[in-house]
Amino acid sequence: MKGAKVVVELLERQGVEVAFGIPGGVLLPLYDELVDAKFRHILTRHEQCAAHMADGYARVSRKPGVCIATSGPGATNLVTGVATAYMDSSPLVAITGQVATGMLGADAFQEADSFGIMMPITKHNFRVTEAKQLPKVIKRAFGIATTGRFGPVHIDIPSDVFVTDVPEKELDRDYPTPGPRRNLSQLLDAVKLLESSERPTILIGGGAQWSSAGPEIIKLAEILMAPVVTTLMGKGVVPDTHPLVLGVVGMHGRQGANYVLHNCDVLLAIGTRFSDRVTGKVSDFAKSTKIIHVDIDASEIGKNVKGHVALIGDAWTATNALISGLQSRAIKQTEWRARIKAIKEACTCDFDLPGEPIKPQKVIKDLSRYLPEDAIITTEVGQNQMWCSHFLEMNGKRQFITSGGLGTMGFGFPAAIGAKVARPDKVVVDVAGDGSLQMVSHEFATSIQEDIPVVVCLLNNGWLGMVKQWQKLFYEKRYKATTLGKVPDFVKLAQAYGADALRVEKASEVKDAIKRAVKSEVSFLIDIATDPEEDILPMIPPGKKTSDTIYGRCKFKC
Amino acid sequence: MVAVISMLVEDEPGVMQRVMGEFTRKRINVETIVVGKCERDDKARIVLSVTDPAKAQAVIEHLKSMQEVVEVEIVDEMRHEAYALMINGHGEARITGTIQEIEAIIEKTKPEKYIRTISAL
Repeated sequence: MKGAKVVVELLERQGVEVAFGIPGGVLLPLYDELVDAKFRHILTRHEQCAAHMADGYARVSRKPGVCIATSGPGATNLVTGVATAYMDSSPLVAITGQVATGMLGADAFQEADSFGIMMPITKHNFRVTEAKQLPKVIKRAFGIATTGRFGPVHIDIPSDVFVTDVPEKELDRDYPTPGPRRNLSQLLDAVKLLESSERPTILIGGGAQWSSAGPEIIKLAEILMAPVVTTLMGKGVVPDTHPLVLGVVGMHGRQGANYVLHNCDVLLAIGTRFSDRVTGKVSDFAKSTKIIHVDIDASEIGKNVKGHVALIGDAWTATNALISGLQSRAIKQTEWRARIKAIKEACTCDFDLPGEPIKPQKVIKDLSRYLPEDAIITTEVGQNQMWCSHFLEMNGKRQFITSGGLGTMGFGFPAAIGAKVARPDKVVVDVAGDGSLQMVSHEFATSIQEDIPVVVCLLNNGWLGMVKQWQKLFYEKRYKATTLGKVPDFVKLAQAYGADALRVEKASEVKDAIKRAVKSEVSFLIDIATDPEEDILPMIPPGKKTSDTIYGRCKFKC
Repeated sequence: MVAVISMLVEDEPGVMQRVMGEFTRKRINVETIVVGKCERDDKARIVLSVTDPAKAQAVIEHLKSMQEVVEVEIVDEMRHEAYALMINGHGEARITGTIQEIEAIIEKTKPEKYIRTISAL
């Protein structure tokens, strides 16, 4: 069996439903086999978006997303998407073509050292130099991507490998990937710390999302009567409507959430790496707090913040172990526990702001109210992302998808398309900024041609808003290279691709626009003129403490 | 202070690049490094020293999580001229000392297989 056929056959055996990609010279033998493949191929307009779509697909389906790019520029274009998946621990299998083995290292046409380039941004990567390695490499790639802490795996395949024969019996050999080392030996220490805690808080991150540990975390919180706060990546794992859930922490976090994070005596951190956006100035973080750090990846323990007790395992297993350890113990009512309700109330405000130009908070309020209760929401990066992080209400059924680690502008739109491929029955909405959307707007072509309708809710303020905000706050309003002006006309742009679109300039019209967009049979852009002077506040300036918070409209007192 | 890290890795192209990439990212300057075929077939051993033991400790888990790294350990002894890992019917033994001491022990015990690194630590 030819190498190209082996690749397709093995992808089918792995249960691949869809691959996102763009062909090229060295990939012709592979694409010839894809003609008869049992899975769908979606032609994107840029390789970066193929990776983002595979990433969005993976986050929704919890199966590895597959993306394909050609050698040289195809591979280098893929890099941003793969790095995004790596930072957010999303399982991808990224396949790139390569020049023939005989040409490797000769600076051949469209040659790049993609094996070397991908190395630091993948969980693992392979360069196949002999066709007979293909079965092992492909099986291992899927195993590595989905074992332990998920992550992207890259496979570089030279063109001659695609046309070389592999004995068919080689395809049947198994190459298992060993599971992660679990270590819950400090469970009793963790239980004792939590039991005797006066002021416990639970912080959950992306690990809880991947492990689907939401209901268990709520159960544990109820046993402990402890507030639950989330990182950006943990948003949506637990319902914001629950009385113990105080929302997202960090630089643009909820003040109630930041208050309990910085004032607890025992912090149970589940599936989070203590990013600088969560801790602020790391040397001042949790100085007198005892931290129980739960992570599936042993190398995360002590990497950014020194914990006192470590549990190595997935969020679901570790949380269940803590539940069984704490269930029969008497948790005493403390002043802290009695205050949670008041803290949550103190952090509740009316952000249904009237008037024009439209306030972004108002748009997020209407999205919370009028999106279907099981909608999938993606974001771009910048102010749009932080408005969602702070204000969007998650009910436990909605899913929130964002580029948390790498912070990739242009992620949300292709990720939404990938998410829609995974769940065509759900409404998928990308909350975008005009800067981010312009990086990937060509993917309207993919969504129309492949009939993958998504909603783009564009907060259009004519600026690279987050950078502008920092120039305003920290560089004395010396604006440079942050104004985007009133180009393009986004409605015409979307319509040029065959999408439907609507311009919204009145606050009262946001509601109807959302209701119309979610019913659309084709991709729909809502171009909302938002107030360029509305900053995303409150904000803890970078590297500073909570006492340095800039509050803006926020009236939180505790 | 010097810390010595000894690791067993797959003997394949690209492994050194991946391992050294981790040191680059963690801003760890490697003082000395010895790498080559070793006591196990299809595997190679990398023995390297770094000046900061705390950093060595911090990088260990990251090295362990690599697919091509089979074993990692920190060799306790510091500033010795030579290091040897020997295997015989009773198992493995690791020794450090002066070149003469190591040579003498290898000569005396006649291990089935051994590797030694001289002036590497």
